[in-house]
Amino acid sequence: MTIKNHAKVCAIVSAVIFALALVLSLCGLGVNLGIDFAGGLSMQYDMGTTVNKEDVTGVLNGMGLEAAVTVQGASQNEVNIQIKSISSYAYDLGEDAQVSDANEDAVRIQMVQTGFEAAVREIYPDAQQIGDVNYVGPVAGATLLTNAFLSVLIAAVLMLIYIAWRFDFNSGVAAVLGLVHDVLMMLAFMVLLRSIIQMNSSFIAAMLTIVGYSINNTIVIFDRIRENAKKMPTDARDAVVNRSIKECLGRTLTTTLTTLVTIVALYVLGVDSIKEFALPIIIGIVSGVYSANMINGYVWAFLEERKIARKAAAAKAK
Amino acid sequence: MKNRNRANGKTKAIIALAIVLVLTVALGVIGVTGIKLDSRGVRTFGPWLPTTNADSWPQLIELGLDLRGGVYVEYSAKAPEGSDADFETLLQGTMSVIQNRLTDAGYAESTVQKIGTDGIRVEIPTATEGAQDEVAARNAVLNLIGETAKLEFRDASGNVIMDGSMVQTAVGGYDSDSADYVISFTLTSEGTKIFAEATASMIGQTLAIYLDDTQLIAPTVQSAITEGRGVITGMGSIERAQTIAAQIQSGALPMELTQQKVDTVSATLGPDALSSSVLAAIIGILIVMVIMIVRYRLNGVVASWALCIYIILLFMLIAAIPGIQLTLPGLAGIVLGIGMAVDANVIIFERFNEEIRAGRALRQAVRAGFRNALSAIVDANVTTLIASLVLLVYGTGSIQGFAKTLLLSVIVSMFTAVVVTRFLMKGIVNLGVQNVNLFCSVKARKEEQ
Repeated sequence: MTIKNHAKVCAIVSAVIFALALVLSLCGLGVNLGIDFAGGLSMQYDMGTTVNKEDVTGVLNGMGLEAAVTVQGASQNEVNIQIKSISSYAYDLGEDAQVSDANEDAVRIQMVQTGFEAAVREIYPDAQQIGDVNYVGPVAGATLLTNAFLSVLIAAVLMLIYIAWRFDFNSGVAAVLGLVHDVLMMLAFMVLLRSIIQMNSSFIAAMLTIVGYSINNTIVIFDRIRENAKKMPTDARDAVVNRSIKECLGRTLTTTLTTLVTIVALYVLGVDSIKEFALPIIIGIVSGVYSANMINGYVWAFLEERKIARKAAAAKAK
Repeated sequence: MKNRNRANGKTKAIIALAIVLVLTVALGVIGVTGIKLDSRGVRTFGPWLPTTNADSWPQLIELGLDLRGGVYVEYSAKAPEGSDADFETLLQGTMSVIQNRLTDAGYAESTVQKIGTDGIRVEIPTATEGAQDEVAARNAVLNLIGETAKLEFRDASGNVIMDGSMVQTAVGGYDSDSADYVISFTLTSEGTKIFAEATASMIGQTLAIYLDDTQLIAPTVQSAITEGRGVITGMGSIERAQTIAAQIQSGALPMELTQQKVDTVSATLGPDALSSSVLAAIIGILIVMVIMIVRYRLNGVVASWALCIYIILLFMLIAAIPGIQLTLPGLAGIVLGIGMAVDANVIIFERFNEEIRAGRALRQAVRAGFRNALSAIVDANVTTLIASLVLLVYGTGSIQGFAKTLLLSVIVSMFTAVVVTRFLMKGIVNLGVQNVNLFCSVKARKEEQ
């Protein structure tokens, strides 16, 4: 009984975290979407001297652009500019220029940059563009987001089929529920950590990696459950689960440690775009260990007990 | 007799392990330095293992745009209104026009690929350094793609007779009479008139057709063409005939393109990302090895050895298989894969330890350990394979690069865990190692019971 209760407590803890993230999202404090998803233009400049954020924002507002400006760098001399929409920028190309639909955006990006540089150099004469310039159209971002969730859905269905075939249907359901839990946990933490991490296209890779990888813990445990269930046919199902988890604990901890070590090294040493990939993975791995050991097995036990009870009831009715 | 057999087995094991050790070390060293196969250095085998110095990164490994710098553009394509041409043919035509123009403009290394059903991805590596050059390159390239194509009919002395706007339809096909792939075209009424006059005065001369200032064909005019219809022969293949037909028909890019995404990666940021990721990988590997040896003792040494072989093989395959580009997420996937690669070993060793603690002999423990671990290893890896295949199909750009490296690392890690680790463990057991404490602590377990 106590075992079931602790699985329940863990499920409630997870639910509270999801609910918190959902409430924050509804209040407008949701996931911090990077330009890969939200669309827009991002660029970086080195101003040559310590930057006053209001100066840069002022220049952009003067151009009729709404932008998020962050100051960074060791001596606070670099700015990261994110402009959600550049379509409001009016530019004049001169008389002869012809702009086709295909390169209209390209021309506009160029014009925004030229205009910005001219204006900002009146305040910071040494301003130089550094790093990447990224532009994503509004449609591409939305398509990317749809594809991301579609691919998670497809992967989940394929895994349900595979696990149902290799184990049993209840194992498939329990494992995929765990998988959904881990993905939701990654999303929830993207909301909770919105001030330090942005969601860009590498999040899709991170999400699918966790979909494929966090389920490993569940599978190794379910493999042991499959073995132990044969050895202990009369015991309560959650006792089988409990014993299997205990027997796998050495492996679970060692593997989690080796995986976390490499990904944390990557997070600490990596550049920004690597960090955007590594942090969700770290969250996913921790969540995967948590769900595999605390929740998934007991979901299977619950489903199995119900199946057994149903069979018993059916036999009685006969 | 029995003793001699055991001695024989020991000698064999020593030889086998020594060969694998020499191979591992040799491949590891060659992997970093490369090798000259003859004294003049004509036949060389380049290095394929990465180092933290991005400048000396092995050329055998093709780097994605995010690691070497360049411009990346995505377009969505739409068939022009009223066009009944096959969508796929139009798309292929558009892509070949873009590729030709980029090559003409000096960006021969650029790639044009189809993404999804109606998308085109263009990647243009820029070797130039410094931000201003990249901006210039990007804008030059973007304008280039955006420009409309020029189709021209020219006479023998190079004068333009008429251009693509006078072509009404152009269809690629096979002409059974001449057993040749051809393009049949019809002209607008204005074009018919001009063409009739021009060809009447040009009999016996060549009439060249140019696309973007590149000569497509230069047939000799046999007779005046007055009915506003013509056939261009000698296309070579149905694909070429259809592609060029699509290009001629529009006189421009065969499709309407809308820009969806533009990325510029500076040529300095890429190498930074590269060397920091490799440093992270090396640190990660060393810590993983320490963990494995502390926890599994002699087996941990086996796992560390297998991990070295895994890394050598993985990068060898990435270098050898065409079409695999190493991208930033891909590199992250490899680093992550190091942690995962030992997972199969961990599963095996845990099972092995259980057998030892149950009182089995080493040889039986190795066999039983593998047998009991195999189903878990296969099932766990298949799920990761499923995820990487889904990424491969639905991902774009650098995500696809990640999917390919993830797929490869799962396959290689399964091979090293199941084949290499088993070989090494058997070899060590055959060396005549008797003390089980070299593998795991048996005492602690006995006290527990």
